[in-house]
Amino acid sequence: MSLPKQPFAVFSSFWKHRTLIVSLARRDVLGRYSGSFLGLLWSFFNPLLMLSVYTFVFGVIFKARWSPNESAGILEFAVALFAGLLVFGIFSESVNRAPSLMLQNPGFVKRVVFPLEIMPWVVLCSSLFHTAISLVVLALVMFLGLGALPATWPLILVVLVPLILFVLGISWALAALGVYLRDLAQTITIVTTVMMFLSPIFYPASAVPAGFRWAIEWNPMSFFVEQARAVLIWGTFPDFAGLAAMAAGGLAVAWLGLALFQHARDGFADVL
Amino acid sequence: MSSELVIHAEGIGKNYRLYATPRDRLKQLFASPKRKYYREFAALSDVSFDVKRGETVGIIGRNGSGKSTLLQIACGTLRPSAGRMTTRGRIAAILELGAGFSPDFSGRENIFLNGYIIGLTQQEIEARLDAICAFADIGDFIEQPIKTYSTGMVVRLAFAVVAHVDAEILVIDEALAVGDARFVQKCMRFLREFKERGTLLFVSHDTSAVSNLCDRVLWLDAGRVKALGPSKQVCELYLENLLEAAQGASREIDAPRPTIARDRVAGAPARDQRLDVIQASGHRTDIEIFEFDPASASFGRRGARIADVRIEHPHGERLAWAVGGETVVVSIDVEAIEPLDSPIVGFLVRDRLGQNLFGDNTFLTSHDNPLRLAAGDTARARFEFDLPLLPPGNYSIAVAVADGRQQDHVQHEWIHDALIFRVETSSIRHSLVGVPLRSIGFDLLEPPR
Repeated sequence: MSLPKQPFAVFSSFWKHRTLIVSLARRDVLGRYSGSFLGLLWSFFNPLLMLSVYTFVFGVIFKARWSPNESAGILEFAVALFAGLLVFGIFSESVNRAPSLMLQNPGFVKRVVFPLEIMPWVVLCSSLFHTAISLVVLALVMFLGLGALPATWPLILVVLVPLILFVLGISWALAALGVYLRDLAQTITIVTTVMMFLSPIFYPASAVPAGFRWAIEWNPMSFFVEQARAVLIWGTFPDFAGLAAMAAGGLAVAWLGLALFQHARDGFADVL
Repeated sequence: MSSELVIHAEGIGKNYRLYATPRDRLKQLFASPKRKYYREFAALSDVSFDVKRGETVGIIGRNGSGKSTLLQIACGTLRPSAGRMTTRGRIAAILELGAGFSPDFSGRENIFLNGYIIGLTQQEIEARLDAICAFADIGDFIEQPIKTYSTGMVVRLAFAVVAHVDAEILVIDEALAVGDARFVQKCMRFLREFKERGTLLFVSHDTSAVSNLCDRVLWLDAGRVKALGPSKQVCELYLENLLEAAQGASREIDAPRPTIARDRVAGAPARDQRLDVIQASGHRTDIEIFEFDPASASFGRRGARIADVRIEHPHGERLAWAVGGETVVVSIDVEAIEPLDSPIVGFLVRDRLGQNLFGDNTFLTSHDNPLRLAAGDTARARFEFDLPLLPPGNYSIAVAVADGRQQDHVQHEWIHDALIFRVETSSIRHSLVGVPLRSIGFDLLEPPR
């Protein structure tokens, strides 16, 4: 297995094929709503409705509060949950779709010379579009409901960069393996669901009994969920050292994932 | 690889692993390389050839002989399991129907998608968009998803795209089998023009198309090169082989060849004596004639316009159906838009491959006494002749009006496929055109004393 010359090969094919990626991602976003009456508006209404439901169920019915602080309103739990889900969504959407990416596009694999390695980028761009809309919804709700946005909001970009690298690396690896192991698509859905419950999305990390902390700490998504919530909800600075370490790790994962993908792609056309 | 070589294939082999069950495939993934859970199937073995810049090479062979696999390797969509394939320059390919098209995208979006894949920028595709749409000629369907297209429309779009991406190497796999006569003519014109500047790899079962279009032919048989050489020779060998497979090897003649006497009747009016019999039989050359299409591809200075083209009975009725051997008239009406000093009107009959079969013009008839036309005048040229016996297929008549002399003239309007006609059945099989024969004799000779 030969590694691409430099880790930055991860970005070079993105830059080279950016028009193709953007145009495929646009189709991916629009295709989801094709034929529906509200069209693209769904990607705005969907997060808004979910946020309302969380507020009602968790804030009003369960009377759940994130912090023991009595002054916290019914909205607090909902926005904290929403922020966690939003970050986890970037991971789960790409990773769940990765194993079947090649299987669903046999024409690109077999019949034309296509830069197959851009497919994870396409899925990622499409899910980042939905994330951006959800962030807008979150900002609106927080501004109207809580009166102000923390000044640390723009730092969400710093949190997302290492996450994106991890997601790309895992997507490349799964996209390549999924061609040979058809069961992977089913398995991965279960794995991401388990990871969702084993990261502090529905509960604060502090609520986990000390003896079970390891169950969520092995999960890199726990780190990203906590960091995103820090900058979006609590208005505290993220763990910059941790993020830098994660970025280095993410770059390594992306590089290895791409190398695995490029190594395995020779056989795609034979198997499909 | 010298700069003249654009395709260099060296000992290409392709093996497919056939697994009895999906479980074996999984076992193989984790097994040591020595264990084999599969049977190997060799689709190609030891195929070597070179293609020079500007050459047209045909690939023939029966179904399953590895033609498509070889093209896929040439295009880079398949990796060979042995050997090396090197290509130089931008490759555009039509490998399979609708390949590279996304069924849910509209025709226009697919043009962009295909353009990006081939390596054009957005600006380059936008600059070519009108030309591509005009070539495909599928009207408003360009805005509809590809999944609503007929196969003919998909081929039109696919061909239109590859024709406009400035490819240096063009790979065409059986793409012209579908598509109507007028479109096939358009593609043939494009391919003939492309041959002048680019390299073409052409796969077809139609050996006459291959031998006509290609300089050299590669004949694949069960994944191996059976022959590679000048197209005429290889196509003849291939046809011979097909016939032998169908009816056994041909016997060599060892006795001296008996001569077959031919009656020679001099001076009699040209009349094929078999015509009466043939006309009454199923071997009659039935010809269906379609309407004149003034919107067909054309060029010229437009100082004159072709108003109508018809095939008529000598008495003047327009024919929609004709029979080979019959006397017919090709009648062409032209309208002068500006004054013409010595107009020439001509026609040219082409077969489905775009080869010029026969045709004539009014130059010799009128050059001593040219028919001067003032602006707005209309004139009619009539060509009366015996319709030859043609093999079944689609034919097109190109018509033109020019001004000047045969060697030195201004082309005012040339319509490529003004009239399409189709020969349904025919007694002719193996030649481009049949001539009415005066007589044929076949008699036993007295043994020499």
